[in-house]
Amino acid sequence: MRESREVSRLRARAEDRDLLRRYQEYGDVLARERLVSRHLPLVRALARRYAGRGEPLEDIEQVGAIGLLKAIDRFELEREVSLATYATPNVVGEIKRHFRDKGWAIRVPRALQELNARMAQAIDRLTSKLGRSPSVAEIAEALDTTPEAVLEALEVGSAYTTLSLSPVPGAEDGEADPLDVIGEEDAGFERWEDRADLEPALGQLAMREREILRMRFEEGLPQTQIADRVGLSQMHVSRLIRKSLAAMRDELAS
Amino acid sequence: MPDRIALRAPLSDDFVGVVRLIVGGVAERADLGFEDMDDLQLAVERLLAEAVSLGYVALRFEIGPGRVRTSVGPLHSEALARALQEPDDGPATLTLGRILSTVVSSYGVETVADGHIVVRLEKVMEDAG
Repeated sequence: MRESREVSRLRARAEDRDLLRRYQEYGDVLARERLVSRHLPLVRALARRYAGRGEPLEDIEQVGAIGLLKAIDRFELEREVSLATYATPNVVGEIKRHFRDKGWAIRVPRALQELNARMAQAIDRLTSKLGRSPSVAEIAEALDTTPEAVLEALEVGSAYTTLSLSPVPGAEDGEADPLDVIGEEDAGFERWEDRADLEPALGQLAMREREILRMRFEEGLPQTQIADRVGLSQMHVSRLIRKSLAAMRDELAS
Repeated sequence: MPDRIALRAPLSDDFVGVVRLIVGGVAERADLGFEDMDDLQLAVERLLAEAVSLGYVALRFEIGPGRVRTSVGPLHSEALARALQEPDDGPATLTLGRILSTVVSSYGVETVADGHIVVRLEKVMEDAG
């Protein structure tokens, strides 16, 4: 059983490569269409993971299909990897970008939103008063709340700005997770090979974000000093750093 | 005797927030300041983001006064291992190694079975250093 599954997987992979060659080397658009239809079930499976977040499933599938098309166009035949593996981050990346562009917002309890809003000022005030970065306990005391609530409110703020959208693993709808279907052998696939070097993606950031990253990782300045220089709160600087690094990673992955 | 916490979490973006909360709680118990806590959270978050997103990851924390030792792994990524084991190219290059060496007091990489690695991070409160 396992062997026949493996054989059919290898056969499908060989057929994909043949279609990719026909499209890339001879401009055979029918081959491209065939590739799209062969991999639409993967797109649908990935899109379903993002259903119920305020967007019609059909729209998410269409956005995912754009990611698939990009993957087909960018796929390099020399790479020993399946199209499905290569396409998955493209599809997911496209869907995530779509949600970001639509300004998707998470539901956050009002009390945490308010606490988060008060926190930036409290941290800056305490930093200035203590001459060092305050502890979570000190922030909690200043805001008359608990350290746990401070941590939660911080996380709420982080989530709001970075928008984690990846689906929870494990099939809720009884389907296999597409990432499982792809198989272990592709786990070290080359798409990751440049990811430890974020430099090439710096250019897509706004000037202010680039400057903040330069101050933090080139000059080695602490967030408090960066905050003073750019006229933002330390908490805002922290979020911009995280958001910038995440955006650069997404850019490289896509 | 330092306190220890062990956690096994899915390697998925959806759980990064959970891991950040726990790292925050651990840092709070060690009395790290907000910025040190944020640094440690960023280090763990970047490592998880750069690892291949399949399976689970183990995180272990050892909490001492003004200090947190963290191990993350096993992580599977040859490129990640290579990048972290190579010497830092210097401040002008924004690599994962550069990020880690900026935000934690020290880090090390241990190769375990099947090309997997475990990354050890240590964050020491500036005043406790």
